[in-house]
Amino acid sequence: MATSDWQPVLVLLVLIVAAVVLLHALSVALRAVREPVHTGPFSGGLEPQEHPLSRFHVRWYPVTMVFLAFDMEMLFMYPWTKVVSAVGTSAVVEMFLFLGILLAGVAYAWREGAFRWS
Amino acid sequence: MVERTPLWAVFVLPALLVGAALVTAGFDAVLAAGARRGRPGSLRETAVRAVEPGRQVLRHLVQQPRRTRASDLPLARIGAGLLPVAAVLAAVVLPLGFRSVSDLPEGIVWFNAMEALAWAAVWLAGWGPNSTLSLIGGYRFLAQGLAYELPHMLAITTAALGAESLRVGEVVDAQAGLWFVVWMPVAFVIYLLSAMAMAFWGPFDQPAGRDVAGGAGAELSGADRVLFLGGRWLLLVVAAAFSVPLFLGGGHGPLLPGWAWTVLKTAAVLAFLVGVRRAIPTVRMERYLELAWVVLTPLAIVQALVVAVVVLNR
Amino acid sequence: MRAAVSRPGVLLAVYPGATRQRLAVEAELARRGWPCVSGPAEADLLVIAGDHEGEGRGEGGESDWVAGLWQGIPAPKVRVWVTDPERAADALDSGLADLVRGEHEDDHAHEAHHEHHEHQQDGGTAPHSDHGGHDMHGGHHGHAGHAMGLVEGLPMADRADDRDGLRLDVLHVPLGPVLADWPAGLILHLTLQGDIVQEVTVEPVATPPSPSPPFWDEPWLRAASGEHISRGDAARRLCAAHLDSLGRFFAVAGWDDMAARTRHVRDRALAGATAAELTSLVRPLIRRAERSRTLRWLTTGLGTLPAEQARQRGVTGPALVADGDAYSRMLVWLEAVGRSAATCDVTEALDTAEVVGPRGRLDTPVPPSRALLDSLPRLLEGTEFACARIIVASLDPDLDELTHVPAPGTVHSHG
Repeated sequence: MATSDWQPVLVLLVLIVAAVVLLHALSVALRAVREPVHTGPFSGGLEPQEHPLSRFHVRWYPVTMVFLAFDMEMLFMYPWTKVVSAVGTSAVVEMFLFLGILLAGVAYAWREGAFRWS
Repeated sequence: MVERTPLWAVFVLPALLVGAALVTAGFDAVLAAGARRGRPGSLRETAVRAVEPGRQVLRHLVQQPRRTRASDLPLARIGAGLLPVAAVLAAVVLPLGFRSVSDLPEGIVWFNAMEALAWAAVWLAGWGPNSTLSLIGGYRFLAQGLAYELPHMLAITTAALGAESLRVGEVVDAQAGLWFVVWMPVAFVIYLLSAMAMAFWGPFDQPAGRDVAGGAGAELSGADRVLFLGGRWLLLVVAAAFSVPLFLGGGHGPLLPGWAWTVLKTAAVLAFLVGVRRAIPTVRMERYLELAWVVLTPLAIVQALVVAVVVLNR
Repeated sequence: MRAAVSRPGVLLAVYPGATRQRLAVEAELARRGWPCVSGPAEADLLVIAGDHEGEGRGEGGESDWVAGLWQGIPAPKVRVWVTDPERAADALDSGLADLVRGEHEDDHAHEAHHEHHEHQQDGGTAPHSDHGGHDMHGGHHGHAGHAMGLVEGLPMADRADDRDGLRLDVLHVPLGPVLADWPAGLILHLTLQGDIVQEVTVEPVATPPSPSPPFWDEPWLRAASGEHISRGDAARRLCAAHLDSLGRFFAVAGWDDMAARTRHVRDRALAGATAAELTSLVRPLIRRAERSRTLRWLTTGLGTLPAEQARQRGVTGPALVADGDAYSRMLVWLEAVGRSAATCDVTEALDTAEVVGPRGRLDTPVPPSRALLDSLPRLLEGTEFACARIIVASLDPDLDELTHVPAPGTVHSHG
């Protein structure tokens, strides 16, 4: 059962990737001019002084940390949904205690101004 | 229990999704033209506008290839192509009526995983062309992801919790009597918000906003552009359609067959989202992020708690 | 193939002083439903709006930035000039005809045919165009190599201190003059770190001075020089000017629906709608904009310009009245739109004691938009890119005013 569940997914993956390639092929067949046009990046018609690829000023860096904590928590929460009534009250208490602790972290990060950056 | 469909369904699914995306985009184009001209327009004009998305696809396919200086073509190409792939793969767990292409036992997690590929896709498409505006667009989507993803995950787990299963078919079965939207309204609203955010569309279109000349897609042309923008519409359709089995009772409903209910409900959700787009300006993450973390996340957790207590006492 | 280009994507490049042409093209595009695109990657038709076709703009007959744009558009592509607002539709028709014809020739022959209908000869496949100032273009990637830290002729970004006390990569990017919903002819030289604007220098594009008055200031300037202008005509122009600014503001704020509706009303106002019609069109717009909590939430606190500072810099128009942020400037516009829409049928003569156009007093030595441009750098520095765009849109300087050289003794006699 488990393998046959994934069989259509695999077929679909092959199919859709083939469709993407086919669309590119179609574009190659239809396009007016084959040779690519080489151009500078667009920012209104004039040229920049450097290559735009750069170390970006990521001002939401602290948020990524908080997000990671919650993302880990989601790993537990997905399987937890299947066993709530089987395990009983203790499952709910433990999960929401955990979430409560994480929310305290959110409150702290908020107080520190991590969610406002401009 | 959702029945398994024959293998040919894998051919039908992408066709259906592309059809739905074209219809939605056409509807949006008709509304946009009506707003610009101050009146709805004749039937003929409406028909011309409705096929506009198809014409745009054709227009881009005949374009000469375009390379920006020192661009990383494979990255941009993978980014653009990844969007439709992720959208269609996420859709394997979508039941039409009570049949889906494959009702995976962890269907909800699968959907979540596929939809999260958009993070990589948009960033790659933004980074690849070596252009300031598209770079800004790509990074905007990462900030947006940090804002919408967590309430989104909490909302979909809440639906899973209501059915005590991660299998989409069982979530639908659990709504034979009462739709989840009735007792999980907060999760439903949060889900709709994140559906627009993950498709970076409507009020959440900042990563591809007009203020950065198309953002992550600014430098894409030809097939790449078709895949990127088309993938975005596909993602929107899939995300909207997934709200039907999660919250709106899937194929359950009186009189009509299950598949008809699914189509109707999906169309209603999409029409609502298109309406929302016309009603609300673009939400900037530097303001929304705070709302998402300080208001939406606690609300989603409270909603999950309520559902957990109900599940315990049932 | 014909179907593919039957509704071409239009990239609109506007020279300062060509507001009349721009409005004509925009109205015509709306009538036809052709998409107005925001960058060269998705464009087929480059529409250049200017006073005189190629006059005094170098040997190529056009500025660097127009050449740069044209070079970046993938074929099939055609460009047309719109110099006469009355003939905007003809220009678009001829552009479309060239596009369609180019398609057919391409079936047999090669690319260069497109340009046969054009007055320029550089093809899309020939990046070695003969326009000056294009050494940086990608076609030359052979000669620079990786010597001296250059990659394809350009250095990588270097680091510098930022506003948050970090040392990060800095980019120097010219923004404009051709962006969607951007004041025509404005170039901002930005120093960017990530999407934070660190420094701004304002530079209007070089254009020859124009003797004709700026479109939006026309009624007041003409009245000041002794012509008979009715108050109604001035009110109509004011209403349309603010609607034009509001359309940009909504578009930059990402509210496409409101932007489209506002532009529709603007076109109606310029087409001579009666006061009654205009009032009924304008009222729902104003109500909707004022009631939108999202818009308020998103635009408050952006680009705060206190009245005192505004006065110091010589700002006299709505930006001075607003005495606040982008949102309050929008409210001032809305209020003025509502007021002027109601009076646009009045026939009595315009009072010439005060020459105040849509952007401020016109009888001062510097045009009001110069003052707006002067206040831009301080407002933009330290803001995020998206906020910077909203701030520019909320001031909406009109660069036509800078190119206009008034004939001596017309306006200043009243100042």
